[in-house]
Amino acid sequence: MTDTSSVPPPVLQLQLRQLRAPSGLLLQDFALSLPAGAIHTVMGPSGSGKSSLLAALCGILEPGIVFAGQVWVDGMRVDAWPTQRRRVGLLLQDDLLFAHMTVRENLLFAVPSGPHASRAQAVLQALAEVELLPWADADPATLSGGQRARAALARALLAQPRVLLLDEPFSKLDAPLRQRMRALVWGAVRRRGLAAVLVTHDAADVADAQRLSTLG
Amino acid sequence: MYAGAGVLLWAALTGYLAWPALPADGPWLRALALALASGAVATGLALAACAALLSAMPLGMPARGWPRLLPAFLALPHMAFALGVLLLISPSGMLVRFLFALLAPLQALLPWPLDAPPDWQSTQDPWGLGLVLVLVCKETPFLLWCALAQWQRPDLAQRWRREMALARTWGYSERRAWWRVVWPQLVPRLGGPLLAVAMYSVSVIDVAWIIGPGAPPTLAVLAWQWLQDTNPARRAQGLAAMAVLAACTAVLAVLACAAYQGWLRMGGRRHWSGGPAAMPPLAPQGRYVPHSPYSRALTWRPRLAYRTLAAVYLAVAAALAFSSVAGAWPFPAVWPQQWTLQAWQLVAGSSAALGTTLWLAFASALSALALAVALLEALPRRFHTALMGLALCALLVPALVWAWLLQTGALALGLEGSVTGLWLAHTLTVWPYLVLSLQAPYAGVDGRLAAVAASLGRSRWAFLWQVQLPLLRGALASAGAIGFAVSVAQFLPTLFVGGGRFSTVSTEALALSSGGQRSLVAAYALLQWVLPACAFALAWWLGRARRFALPALH
Repeated sequence: MTDTSSVPPPVLQLQLRQLRAPSGLLLQDFALSLPAGAIHTVMGPSGSGKSSLLAALCGILEPGIVFAGQVWVDGMRVDAWPTQRRRVGLLLQDDLLFAHMTVRENLLFAVPSGPHASRAQAVLQALAEVELLPWADADPATLSGGQRARAALARALLAQPRVLLLDEPFSKLDAPLRQRMRALVWGAVRRRGLAAVLVTHDAADVADAQRLSTLG
Repeated sequence: MYAGAGVLLWAALTGYLAWPALPADGPWLRALALALASGAVATGLALAACAALLSAMPLGMPARGWPRLLPAFLALPHMAFALGVLLLISPSGMLVRFLFALLAPLQALLPWPLDAPPDWQSTQDPWGLGLVLVLVCKETPFLLWCALAQWQRPDLAQRWRREMALARTWGYSERRAWWRVVWPQLVPRLGGPLLAVAMYSVSVIDVAWIIGPGAPPTLAVLAWQWLQDTNPARRAQGLAAMAVLAACTAVLAVLACAAYQGWLRMGGRRHWSGGPAAMPPLAPQGRYVPHSPYSRALTWRPRLAYRTLAAVYLAVAAALAFSSVAGAWPFPAVWPQQWTLQAWQLVAGSSAALGTTLWLAFASALSALALAVALLEALPRRFHTALMGLALCALLVPALVWAWLLQTGALALGLEGSVTGLWLAHTLTVWPYLVLSLQAPYAGVDGRLAAVAASLGRSRWAFLWQVQLPLLRGALASAGAIGFAVSVAQFLPTLFVGGGRFSTVSTEALALSSGGQRSLVAAYALLQWVLPACAFALAWWLGRARRFALPALH
């Protein structure tokens, strides 16, 4: 008799049959099953379908790219759901902070419901976690690259995703900052019990050598 | 291609069918030639002025200095500008009075008297020079405004800066590199606005009526005069002239597009710019070649072009303001004998025209803005080009034909002479301008922001209201002001669809322009400028950049 109680249920499951672009087949028969705290790294040359894979998980595929397969988050099939219901956070190469909002307002955008006081408190706590409290009311454009990346991470985590999709989020940072951001992201993923999929060209980003796919 | 062939076929058929209705020995052929020639010359000169002004601007920079005055230039309707120029350069105009006052000490040496207006054809000249002058001064700011929308796009500015830097390493001076690298890439992006300017210049009525040639006038004015005739045969001629005008503009538009495509296929752009073969290095790589005499010449030309343009607008504004409060003013007196506010009291007394202008402009600008935003939001980005094409097509239709189409539609729907019909007519007229003005700012918003907002669990509506529209606040405010200005300047839709029941500031100004009281004409023309200027000022205030608090120092 096998004891299955110690095996954590997967947070993210993917069964991809096909991912097809107008130019041809990008990916075929690809599967993922990530428990809480797991980080799966996807590597491969440009055009191999890495970013499209993340887009398929997130539900933001470009027109013309067809995804055939199934995506489960916390046991619920979400591939037919709109992005905002999937509980999938997104961190890209560019931080994409909203330029017309302060750092605090950017974070508040990710907490739409609840009393204002509790929302504000959650935002302050998130800012404190990434050491950005003094810059709460600053223009995002005045922040350094590292500060902006931390603000984007805090915003993504505030939406309480179950899955974090990372599309080369460290590639624009210099080496020491990259190291610090990696530690911050991996720590958040493990502490919060998220599942993460990281697309990167940098072998140093690989968090778990057991969970690595190379496409193309 | 099929659409182009279809337009060509339709235009040829319309022109062929309409042709026999026109008098064989009438002045309409000369009128057509005048319209085509003045339109072509005005478009070419406006493009040259636009190029000269742009070459002095740093790439990608937000509008500083003179570009910030563009909305003030754009706010002045064509009709008001033409009336201002008329007050300045007519034989009894202000410039002649000043000139004669300067020449007075030399009277004995001059072969003509200085106490009567000279027998010059400075307005309504048979060659259409006054018409060309007004069109160039009015269309240059429009082309500049369209060019700046591309110019300030971060992606394009970055690319062009890189290419300019590359050209500099080949030994090209900054100005020379600009002409060889940026300008050839910018011109195709101005193709639509340029075509709209050409079509407008060929088919303009109010400006040609006020300052254009009179015997014969341009074809659009001739058609308009015939259409207003009570004689049914004359009205039929008017319709035929209108059809011929529409056919000619359509053929011209299609031919211009075909010529451009053909030029591209023959490698025109490659030959003109870009590519090492077309841009041979002037000096070994890395060696700096200082400004050539050619580029030095270009550094003063933009300043001269801008100062001339600004001076003309300032003079027109002064002429309108001055004339609106002038009382009796016999020639050759430089100053009026008396000052009076009578014209402004009359304007204030006809509050119906002012009220109609205001509600109509507000309502049509807002509804057209809502329609444009709804379409840009609802359609995927890949369809935005098609939407632009549709808007451009609407702008390419001659104003008279457009008004006639609106009238036909209003009659079919039973809306002629009604408030709803008038509002719809103005909304449809304003809408293409708003689509054209919003397309570039929409393209400038990073498409990934929507994905990020969705990944934060927020709906499309939340993204629209909290991110997209606030990011586009400045562009939306500007577009609203443009819509307001376009509506204020319209007189044909008001006359055709309003069925004579509504008067606006523009219809009053036009009615008074042929022999009305000078001060009253000037007052209405000035009002035509002041109303849109207020809208642009409001747009600037609404669209100003947010001021953020400085971070606390640690």
